[in-house]
Amino acid sequence: MAIRELKVCLLGDTGVGKSSIVCRFVQDHFDHNISPTIGASFMTKTVPCGNELHKFLIWDTAGQERFHSLAPMYYRGSAAAVIVYDITKQDSFHTLKKWVKELKEHGPENIVMAIAGNKCDLSDIREVPLKDAKDYAESIGAVVVETSAKHAINIEELFQGISRQIPPLDPLEKGNNGAICMHGGKPPAQARRCC
Amino acid sequence: MCSLEEMTLLRLEEAFLAMLAHVGSSILQPLLLAGPEHSEPWARECLCLLQQLHRSSEQLQEVTEQSLQSLQKRLHQPCTAGLESLLMLGSADRILQVYMEYIESYTSCMVVQVFQQVAKRKSRYWRVQFGLLQKHLPGMSFEGPVDAVLAQALRQPLVQHLQQCVLLLLQLRDGLGKSHPAQELVTQAITLYGNLQSFLQQALDQATATQALWHSLSSRLKDALCTPTRRLLQDSQDVPMTATPLRAERVLLFDDALVLLQGPAVHTFDLRLLWVRPRRHECTFCVLTPEEEFSLSARDPLGRAVWQWKVSRAVSQALRGKKDFPVLGAGPAPSEPPACRSVAYTFSAEGRLCQATYEGEWCLARPHGKGTLKWPDGRHHVGNFRWGLEHGFGIYLVPKATEDQFDCYKCHWQEGSMCGYGICEYGSEEVYKGYFRAGLRHGFGVLDSAPQAPQPFRYTGHWEQDQRSGYGVQEDSSRGERYIGEWQANQRHGLGVVVTQAGVCYQGTFQADKMVGPGILLSEDDSMYEGTFTRDLTFEGKGKITFPNGFTLEGSFSSGAGRGLYTQSVLDTAALPPDPSSTHKRQLGVGALPVESRWRGVYTPFWDFAHAGCPGELQEALLGFQVQSSRELRRSQERGSPEDAAGGTEAFLEDLLRPRQPAALRRHLGEALSAAWHPLGKLLRTLMLTFQATYAGIGANKHLQGLAQEEVKQHARELWAAYRGLLQVALQHKGQALEDEDAETRDQRVHGLMLPLVLPSFYSELFTLYLLLHEREDGLYSQGISSLSVFPDTKLLELLDVHKHLWPLKDLRLTSNQRSSLVRDKCFLSATECLQKIITTVDPREKLEVLEKTYLEIEATVSRVLGREHKLPMDDLLPLLVYVVSRARIQHLGAEIHLIRDMMDPVHTGGRYDFLLTALESCYQHIQKEDVRLHRLPGHWDLRDLR
Repeated sequence: MAIRELKVCLLGDTGVGKSSIVCRFVQDHFDHNISPTIGASFMTKTVPCGNELHKFLIWDTAGQERFHSLAPMYYRGSAAAVIVYDITKQDSFHTLKKWVKELKEHGPENIVMAIAGNKCDLSDIREVPLKDAKDYAESIGAVVVETSAKHAINIEELFQGISRQIPPLDPLEKGNNGAICMHGGKPPAQARRCC
Repeated sequence: MCSLEEMTLLRLEEAFLAMLAHVGSSILQPLLLAGPEHSEPWARECLCLLQQLHRSSEQLQEVTEQSLQSLQKRLHQPCTAGLESLLMLGSADRILQVYMEYIESYTSCMVVQVFQQVAKRKSRYWRVQFGLLQKHLPGMSFEGPVDAVLAQALRQPLVQHLQQCVLLLLQLRDGLGKSHPAQELVTQAITLYGNLQSFLQQALDQATATQALWHSLSSRLKDALCTPTRRLLQDSQDVPMTATPLRAERVLLFDDALVLLQGPAVHTFDLRLLWVRPRRHECTFCVLTPEEEFSLSARDPLGRAVWQWKVSRAVSQALRGKKDFPVLGAGPAPSEPPACRSVAYTFSAEGRLCQATYEGEWCLARPHGKGTLKWPDGRHHVGNFRWGLEHGFGIYLVPKATEDQFDCYKCHWQEGSMCGYGICEYGSEEVYKGYFRAGLRHGFGVLDSAPQAPQPFRYTGHWEQDQRSGYGVQEDSSRGERYIGEWQANQRHGLGVVVTQAGVCYQGTFQADKMVGPGILLSEDDSMYEGTFTRDLTFEGKGKITFPNGFTLEGSFSSGAGRGLYTQSVLDTAALPPDPSSTHKRQLGVGALPVESRWRGVYTPFWDFAHAGCPGELQEALLGFQVQSSRELRRSQERGSPEDAAGGTEAFLEDLLRPRQPAALRRHLGEALSAAWHPLGKLLRTLMLTFQATYAGIGANKHLQGLAQEEVKQHARELWAAYRGLLQVALQHKGQALEDEDAETRDQRVHGLMLPLVLPSFYSELFTLYLLLHEREDGLYSQGISSLSVFPDTKLLELLDVHKHLWPLKDLRLTSNQRSSLVRDKCFLSATECLQKIITTVDPREKLEVLEKTYLEIEATVSRVLGREHKLPMDDLLPLLVYVVSRARIQHLGAEIHLIRDMMDPVHTGGRYDFLLTALESCYQHIQKEDVRLHRLPGHWDLRDLR
């Protein structure tokens, strides 16, 4: 089975729980030995999808405002971006919209966007209604789920959603012995033959 | 006790001595006096021969006298002087020598009829002398012609004496008894004197036959052929012999030459350069000489056998340079003359070698082995030959018009022409170092002008048929200009990039050394001109200038009558200011000069060598001259290792097959690439040469970084392919095949294995280009670093918004009068020190490993501070990394980062190395920011953050 490497970029305000979501996603299955991580900033996880394996290379970014201008370096070449907001903070949803706008303008072509409304376990102090998020996601064609890293809610679903949106390999390129497929200068998605 | 035989011997010697004395005084001395009265050449020759004969006779007397003395001594003191003290027994060889010399001198006189010449004139005088001599030479007839008597008088005593000696010695031996210690000595002497008799007889026979021959030949032929020392060994009139395809009425074999006579024509062949080859036909054999090849045919097999035997023996004798003793063919083994000889010869036939003299080793009538060839016009070749042609290493000198000026080629030759690596120092003081084919510069080479030339240049590149052709770099130091691009027939032709000393560089299309059509010109202030311009960088014709601020000026340009630029064009100021990083990073040549076709000529000799199966004899032609010496060096280092016995290619092909594991393979490749004797090492060194020629000096221009960068990667790919090529040959030698490699594995090997090994060879030039390209950002970054360096550690951590619980305050050791808020360069020291090591290595992978270790140090420090394992999210990690980077104060970090990124194995794209590098790059970018550089206080930062 072919392994496809998918670079996923995590965006969102500091404190919304970007890395918690990834930690939860990655920690449930232990493949650390195979792919060393950089703390909680860079992690990988491989999941089956159809007749392919998707290896997510998850790049965290710093959420502080002052580092925003550095983000393009991180999302360049990404196949997908997970944009996280805190359902208890309207501001974080506002930042999310800025990210979506930036990605549309400067991000890689055909980047898959997934919106995660984190901390859904705290829905009693919710500031962002689910409908707002859904409507917004629909308007931009993004995957959307409300998650709870704390209670491991919808984490798997978030990434499955991304997997489904990744277009399957071009059959022509697939025939090419599983070689890395290049799109433009940087490969947004790579496929490698399974050893 | 002295025996009766010895007494008789004594008497014999006494009588012989007396006879010699009489002959000397009555004949030889008068002969000398009676010698030539006029100074014709033949007369002088006669005198010479007579003098020689006289000297020989005196020596003969001398040695006879010594022999006599030894006999007398033994007579008087038989106890102290044994038989071996007798000269005749103990030093028979010496006697032999003297006798032979006398015989030679005598027969020489005979052959040229000295006696007849002398006798013609004074016959009456001689009759008187004969009368005086008669009583001293008993048993000799003095009747007959004077010359015959003279000849006999000079010969007879010797003949008689030898006969009597042999008889007496036989008696002596019989008297000694079988067990006598001197028995063997006497037997030897008997053999020797017996042989001497045979020798004498043969010499006389040959002389008689030769004399008769001269007599029978026309005087013209005689003049052409006759010399005193030449003796006839065989004549086709005795044993018939015909020659084809050379025609010959008569074939004569002399002791120094084979002569074919056909009418007035004479063909003389030096025996030392004559080879005899048998033919299938039983009556024929074949003769090879440097310039002729012919068959000699006898009437019957016997005749053939006689001639072939005689010719072979005569050749052997001529090669030894002295007469076979006692008779022809009785010389020491080997019986067959050797196929390889060392002789000098001057060619006479028309052609390449006309009038040239070859001195050296021959084999089967052709120069073969080491030798020297000199032409009358002063050309000179010293070196190796094979079957008549220059082959292997040779030095060839061609004189030039003025005296003591030569073109000197030190080169490898193949079948008569230069082929492979060579150095040519021309008379004009130009020097070419590179490859030749068919005697012409072809392939890759470097041509340097004379150091004092008015327009000094150096061309590094490809040659075809002695002309610059293909890709090449020419540095023109008088113009301060370097052309990098395509050539044809010694002219710039095709796409080219020119860099100048002033830093201006342009790209254009050239035809017959001139630039045609529009080009792109980049000036030092980062403005760009697209259009037509001249070689002196004057804008002329249509064009467009793009200024660094984004303004453009488009129209037509010309240089006015006076100074300055005249233009009629439109200035567009509406364009947005472009991104400075794009304007000052413009690259020339990328895409226009495809990297795959750039240095083909460097690889051609290698692939020719590999496709030929790496033959040992071509190895040196590929590598130049170091092979011999370096092999010896290696041998001396690895004394006793048997692998070098075969030497050359077998050794390194064996080596190739050994290591297959990555670590061992890396080591092996590293050794191969650094070894002068290894084809891969040679390739790498040549590539370094091309790289320096292109990118060092004037070529250190930021607009060439793109060309250089892709070139290095291409070299790694080519070297990997070259390694595979050698491996394939090595496996073929073992009857195995090389398994195919898919594109993915190849890319991995190229980037993971080969690139790190070759990168150090190109690093300094390459890094300089990165340095220049990122000068601006690196400048901003340095400002940022220095402004951050004024902050104490805790202040900086605070400034960077690092969470307080992550501050490694435990690391601060304070003295009594310090406060923690003032300490600098203590926090995260281990990570900082680790990061600084990034400049100590060249290998991009090692640099990335340093980066990873730096991360681990940060994580370890944080975990220690928190007292538990902590996985840092980016929100925490990035500020910490900015802190560490700012404290590490690495110079030219931008150049480092971009070089790592360009040279990084693409397999890491998107992976953790890529992530770390991106993180580092983002820190680098962050430090360049205005608010960091301009000392904004934390308060201001907060304000901005809240905005």
